[in-house]
Amino acid sequence: MKYRREASLLILVAVLSLLATLFDGSFVRDNTLDILINSIPTMIISCGVMLVIITGEIDISVGSLLGLLAAILALLCSTVSPGLGIHPYLAIPIVLTIGTLIGLGTGCLVVYGRVPSIIATLGLLIALDGAQDWLMGGGDIKHFPQQLRNLGTGTKLPINLIFTILVVVATGLLCRKTALGRRIYAVGSNRSAARLAGISEAKIKLFVFALTGLLTAMAATLWVAKLGNVSTSTGAGLELKVVTCVVVGGIAIRGGRGRLLGVVLAVILITMIRTVLNFMDLGSEAVKWQRAIEGVMILVAVTSDHFSQRQQSGGSS
Amino acid sequence: MKKFAYELFLLGLIGVVFAIAAILDPRFLSKNVQLELSSEIWELGLLTLGMTLVIITAGIDLSVGSAMGLCSVSLGLCMHANLPTWLCALACLVTGLTAGALNGSLVAFMKVHPLLVTLATYGMYRGFAEGLQSATTNAPVDASEGIKSLAAGTFPLVPLLFAALTVWTAILLGRTAAGRGLYAIGHNEEAARFSGIPIAKLKFWIYTYTGLLAGLAAISYSARRSATAEAGMVIELDVISAVVIGGTSIEGGRGRIAGTLLGVLLIHETRQFVDWYWQRSELTLIVIGTLLILAVLGHRFLFAQNPKTR
Repeated sequence: MKYRREASLLILVAVLSLLATLFDGSFVRDNTLDILINSIPTMIISCGVMLVIITGEIDISVGSLLGLLAAILALLCSTVSPGLGIHPYLAIPIVLTIGTLIGLGTGCLVVYGRVPSIIATLGLLIALDGAQDWLMGGGDIKHFPQQLRNLGTGTKLPINLIFTILVVVATGLLCRKTALGRRIYAVGSNRSAARLAGISEAKIKLFVFALTGLLTAMAATLWVAKLGNVSTSTGAGLELKVVTCVVVGGIAIRGGRGRLLGVVLAVILITMIRTVLNFMDLGSEAVKWQRAIEGVMILVAVTSDHFSQRQQSGGSS
Repeated sequence: MKKFAYELFLLGLIGVVFAIAAILDPRFLSKNVQLELSSEIWELGLLTLGMTLVIITAGIDLSVGSAMGLCSVSLGLCMHANLPTWLCALACLVTGLTAGALNGSLVAFMKVHPLLVTLATYGMYRGFAEGLQSATTNAPVDASEGIKSLAAGTFPLVPLLFAALTVWTAILLGRTAAGRGLYAIGHNEEAARFSGIPIAKLKFWIYTYTGLLAGLAAISYSARRSATAEAGMVIELDVISAVVIGGTSIEGGRGRIAGTLLGVLLIHETRQFVDWYWQRSELTLIVIGTLLILAVLGHRFLFAQNPKTR
C-alpha cells in the first residue's frame, strides 16, 4: 500500500483529536487554527530540510540559523535602541538574502569542501548560536512596527498560515511535477546513476541548502511577526524538532525516498501532542512528564516505522 | 611519524592556542589557573571515549548529554533519600548503563539508524530527567558529603579513572579483535558481516559503554555542582566536536583515542581561554564552531591520502 505511512499518521491525528474531543466537545473547533498556526515555523523549515535529507545530506543548523536571522531582523526593525528602525519591507528582503547566502555557504562547505553535512551544520549550529548571542548582547528585543506584526497577528486573515500553505503547495509541486524535483530524488537514491544521467549533484545540493536557508529566513520573519519578541534562546532546539518531523513523516534518512504529505502530517501530529496533553488536563503531575511522553511517542514512531518498512521490503533492509 | 601527522598538527594547534594565551595574558598558563579551569574537562573527556568508538562504527550518539541529566537526577533522588554513598553512585551508573543499553539494543538488534534512535532518546531522557525531578524534589539536590569527597575531594578519583579508562579504551581499540571489528564495521559493514564480525554485539556494547560513561560523568558533574536535570545540557555538541576535531571520521572506519584526547584538550583550552580572557561565552561558540569546520576541512585537504575519494 503506497500511502501506508500517511494513513497511519492520519489515524494518529484522528485518534488524538477524538481523545481530546472526549474531554471537551469543542476541542476541534477551538484548537485547529491554533495548532496549525503553532506549527508554522516547523512546517516551513521542514519543507527545506526534507529536500536536503532526500538528497542524502542533513541540515541541523536551522534552529540556530532561525535564531540568528530573527535577531538580525529584530535589530533592523525594532523601533527602540539598539534597533535601527528600518522599514520592514526593506528589512525582510535583507534577511531573506542573508538566509539564502548562509544556506548557500553551507552547501559550498558540503559540496566543494567535502565536509560531511552533519559536521558542517553542527559547526554552524554552534557558531551561529554564538553569533546570535553576540548580536543580541544578552537582552530581549521587542517593539516592532505594526506592518511587521500584521504578518503574524493583527488582521482577520491569518496571512502567515496562508503563506505557509503556499510554501507547502509549492514544495509539493516542486517534488512531484518538476524535473528539478525528480533530480533531487535521483541524487539521493542513486548518486552514480544520477551522475550518468547527466545530473549535476553539486548544483542540486547547493540548491536544496540555499532553499533551506531561504525558508528558514521566512520562518524567522513569521516567528518575529507573531511573537513580537526575540531572545537569545529563540530557535534553540528547533533543528531536532524539524528532523524528527521529517523522519516521522517517512523521509528515509539515507535519502531518495519519502513524500511531503507524510511530513506535513507529522508536523501537525507532533505539534498536536503537546496541545492535546495540555488539554486533556491529566493533572499537574502529567504536565511535568510532557516531554518524556513526547519522547516515548517519537521513539515508538521511529522504531515501529522501521519495522513495517523491513517487513515490506522482505526483511532485507 | 607519517601515521601520526594529524595528531602532530593538532598538537601544533594546541601550541598556537597556548602561544596566543602567553602573548595576551601569561597568567592563563600558570598551574593554578589551569587547575582551576580543569574541573570540566573530565566529563567531556569521559564522554568522548565512548563517542569515539560509536563514531568509528559510523554511528552517533546525540543522547549522551540527556542521559547524563537522567543519571544526575537519579543520583539526586538517592542522595535525597539519604542512601549510602556507594548505593547512590551505583544507582547513577546503572541508570546510565540502562540508557545506553536501550540505545544499543535499538541500534544493534532492531537496526534503526543511530541518528534516529538517539535523536528520540535525546528528548526522552531529558524529558524523564525533568519529569522525575519536578515530580519529586522539584529542585537540584546538593551533593552529599560522601559523593563530594568521592568525586570532588582532594583525592583525584575522577582524573585517575579517566586516565585508566582512556588507556583501556585505547588498548581495546588498537590491540584487540573487538577494536578491529569496530573499524571494520565503520569501514564497510557489509564486508564486516561477511567476515563473521559480531556486528550487533559490538554495536550494543559500545552504546552501553557510552551510557555507563554518561553515568560516571554525571557523578563528577553532580559532585562539583548539584544533582539536576540540567546536567550535561548541550554537552553532546562539545563531545562530538572534540571527537571529530580529533580526526575521527564521521563516516566511520577511521579514528584514534590519541586524536580524541588532543581534540578534547584543544576544545577545552580554547573554550577556557576565550571564556577566561574575554569573559564572553558567545565568542567561544563562534570560535569552537569555526574550529570544528576548519579541522575537518584541514583533515580533508592536508592529510587525506587521496582527497578525491570519500
